[in-house]
Amino acid sequence: MSLYEKIIALYPELTDYDFYTVITLQNDSDGNGDYIAKWEHPTLARPTEEQLA
Amino acid sequence: MSKISLTPNASGTGTLTIAAPNTSTDRTLTLPDETGTIISSTSSQVAGPAFRAYGSTLTSVPNNTWTKIIFNTKDFDTNNCFDTSNYRFTPNVAGYYQFNCRVGMGATGTGIAAIKIYKNGSQHIIGDEPLNIATYGAYPSVHGLGWANGTTDYFEVYVYQNSGSTQNCGSAQSGFNFDGFLARIS
Repeated sequence: MSLYEKIIALYPELTDYDFYTVITLQNDSDGNGDYIAKWEHPTLARPTEEQLA
Repeated sequence: MSKISLTPNASGTGTLTIAAPNTSTDRTLTLPDETGTIISSTSSQVAGPAFRAYGSTLTSVPNNTWTKIIFNTKDFDTNNCFDTSNYRFTPNVAGYYQFNCRVGMGATGTGIAAIKIYKNGSQHIIGDEPLNIATYGAYPSVHGLGWANGTTDYFEVYVYQNSGSTQNCGSAQSGFNFDGFLARIS
């Protein structure tokens, strides 16, 4: 399951627009995978590492 | 009458020679009426960095995830400033750089694609955004100027797509590449 899919499972109300504006998932193509580069959602809290594990 | 003054350098030991070309025609070189330094063909102003890179492998771009494009092959890299291991351009001359990049994305159907040039890990130059993904995929491009300090500043390309699934992003040599050059020194 990708990071995006894990986040959507936690917050199904998130939209593509949210991921294009207030949330930035990023992959630096360095083998370390996807990560949350920016989380500025006005109401939903940034998921914890435990929630995404 | 204005004068010409030649000033030796007390610290140096070499001899500066001004050589005439092999010519039978009288020539006059006129200096500009301003203070400055004369540049040569090897000066950084003339021989500044220029590069073009492309990816010999596809970059896997997850849905809704900004992903750095793999540019692991170079057509040319005059000053050895593009690193094909981390896909970064770190120019070694301070100044203003013109960048161009275009990639191809296999995503089809609905959604958008976007592309940005990052400087030091943060978005710096925004390209086509958002670009609707069409039947034949998407081909986002970005062009713009960026300033670099000539030592630590670096530039990378990231793309985004939200077609709903992971897509391969090609940067094959035929038209999909990342290039740049020194436009003006600082």
